[in-house]
Amino acid sequence: MSFLEILFSAGTLSQVLMGLSRTTILFIVSSGLTLILGVLRIPNIAHGSLYMIGAFSAYSVISFLGGGGFAFCVAMVVAPLVVAAIGFVMERGFFSYLYEREHLMLLLLTFSFALIFGDLVKILWGTEFRSIEAPALIQGSAEILGLPVPYYNLFLLAVGPFIAVFLWLVVNRTKIGKISRAAAVDAEMVSAVGINVGWVFAFTFVLGCFLAGLGGALIAPMTSVSLGMDHSLIMEAFLIVIMGGLGNVWGALLGSLIFGLAQSLGIMVWPQFGIVFPYLAVVVVLSFRPKGLLRSVW
Amino acid sequence: MKKMAGFLAVVVLTFFLAASGVAGDTIKVGIVDTYTGPVTTYTYDVRDGFKMAADRINAKGGVLGKKIEFVIRDDTFKSDVGLAMAKELILKENVDILMGTINSATALAISDLCRKEKVPFLVTFSKSGKITGEKGHRYVFNMNENTDMIGRATATAFAKKRYVKYWIAGDDYEYGHAIADAIWSHLKALNPKVQLVGQSWWKMRETDFNPYITQILAAKPDFVIVATGGGSMVNFQKAAQATGFNKRVPFYQHTGIELSTLMPQGQNAPEGVFGTANYLFYYPDTKVNKSFADDFQKLYGRHPKSGALYGYMTAQFIAMAYGKAGKVDKEKFIDALEGMTLDSPIGKLEVRACDHQIVLPMFYGVTKKSTKYEFLVGSDLVSIAGKDYMPTCEEIRKVRAK
Repeated sequence: MSFLEILFSAGTLSQVLMGLSRTTILFIVSSGLTLILGVLRIPNIAHGSLYMIGAFSAYSVISFLGGGGFAFCVAMVVAPLVVAAIGFVMERGFFSYLYEREHLMLLLLTFSFALIFGDLVKILWGTEFRSIEAPALIQGSAEILGLPVPYYNLFLLAVGPFIAVFLWLVVNRTKIGKISRAAAVDAEMVSAVGINVGWVFAFTFVLGCFLAGLGGALIAPMTSVSLGMDHSLIMEAFLIVIMGGLGNVWGALLGSLIFGLAQSLGIMVWPQFGIVFPYLAVVVVLSFRPKGLLRSVW
Repeated sequence: MKKMAGFLAVVVLTFFLAASGVAGDTIKVGIVDTYTGPVTTYTYDVRDGFKMAADRINAKGGVLGKKIEFVIRDDTFKSDVGLAMAKELILKENVDILMGTINSATALAISDLCRKEKVPFLVTFSKSGKITGEKGHRYVFNMNENTDMIGRATATAFAKKRYVKYWIAGDDYEYGHAIADAIWSHLKALNPKVQLVGQSWWKMRETDFNPYITQILAAKPDFVIVATGGGSMVNFQKAAQATGFNKRVPFYQHTGIELSTLMPQGQNAPEGVFGTANYLFYYPDTKVNKSFADDFQKLYGRHPKSGALYGYMTAQFIAMAYGKAGKVDKEKFIDALEGMTLDSPIGKLEVRACDHQIVLPMFYGVTKKSTKYEFLVGSDLVSIAGKDYMPTCEEIRKVRAK
């Protein structure tokens, strides 16, 4: 097969769709991470654990309501809110006392949160693998040029742009969004003009955690909800954030796109070594733009 | 005054430590295993199965008038941690035997330590063929199936089928590659017509299998060997169900018909997946198996999985071997355990004398919806006798000589 034939084959289209749906999850999670990193300067290692708690909470809500489309919709709202509430307690109860200290202290605290959350999940939900069903409407798969594309992936493709627009509106069109952008550049100056930076920080942290929970809830129907799902994600999320430019939400979007597509197209080109492609992309990007693709706020 | 109190505390502590070290009237088993993270779904079963059997033995007065006591250490899936804990158990806790580890690297490291320290080590979940193969020795026993045995059993089952074009896909770590290599080398030997059209390897704990699945479908193989373990078992089956993969191409997974894989998915697991397993609580449908499964369920509120059987029978083997040895002695224990047989919930098991590998049956079948349970079960089950999928003693001697 010539290169052009591969490029325009049915395989490519379905791989691109799969890659883009993966991008959605990666973007939701890494945009939360990068927001917190940009405004609060917290490299939140517990972000993956919050994503895991989001998935487990969605599982609990759905099994409590007995499954079905309604339970799924409720879970997609309640699970991120649960995680957001945890985030609120984390920020007000712990991090807010540590902003004056060096970054290492914050890093250690997030790391200890990651360990504590891991054990808490084990105590609360047990050790069995859990699984959530997507609502009947989006189960199964569509056939595109002879290859299956699950409806759930298409659903994610539709959700992605909504989240991106929502984030754009919050950051650019609301007062608190504008303040948080200003706080990201110079928190001291913002408080000097009489704005309570503490609450801006709390808002940003809670929003970031909400996104982690939403990512976890959204991925749950595709995979098993299990201990350890935090580890596999947190590294990818950090790579994306670094690749996109620390603290830059659009950088996170760009990074997620590169990461997701490099993976799915890499699998098509060389399935045996598909896993190296996203990491290779990170290496290439960082060797040309060591500070990330878009402007870092650090 | 303060100094005095400190001195007293040291004296008391030393006394306690010394007392715990002597341990005259118990048989002390040290368990090193992973009790954090996703593999706990397997290791908790081993621990609970072991505890169930040990409690029963102790209730009847123990062995040689001594109770079986056990101390547990969590290695957090890290081999250096596991090795340090094994050392601590041998040197400080003075354990009579060690058991455990789901991590093959940890098992091999502890096995090496036990060879030097001359302490018996019973492996309860690691599946590396090296444990009783090339790295085997007098002090190590493997109490569950290994990758080489899985390869032989699976190859025997598929050699008769007319599939020609195979695809291999799996977790990119030792267990995945070991299973795939073992199946492929034995299958190729039994049926020279088979060809490998491609491979895909994904990272451990991959969450999104859809891009891999479409790639495999585009290549149109006749059959796919999926070498996954742990969380990937469920994840892959969910992706297969969402894409209809199982309806387009048949595929096989070791433990694909097992409870740990099927129960989480409820009614929504894919049907027609080929799989093997060493323990199913509903098969064989015998009185002993049923009573074991019921007792376990009563105690712990869940169905036993394969780990429960491994833990349960390991405790029984330990008790029997000490009974036969007549005293608590490490060398006599090994001599007694060699060649020992036991009536277990799944039939007669034997600890083979030549390589210390347990001989146990393997069940082969396909996933199917059940009228009795809320999850899919293995159906069309066939039992492959242990002796039919073991490497011969001669083969073991050869790999060990290398």
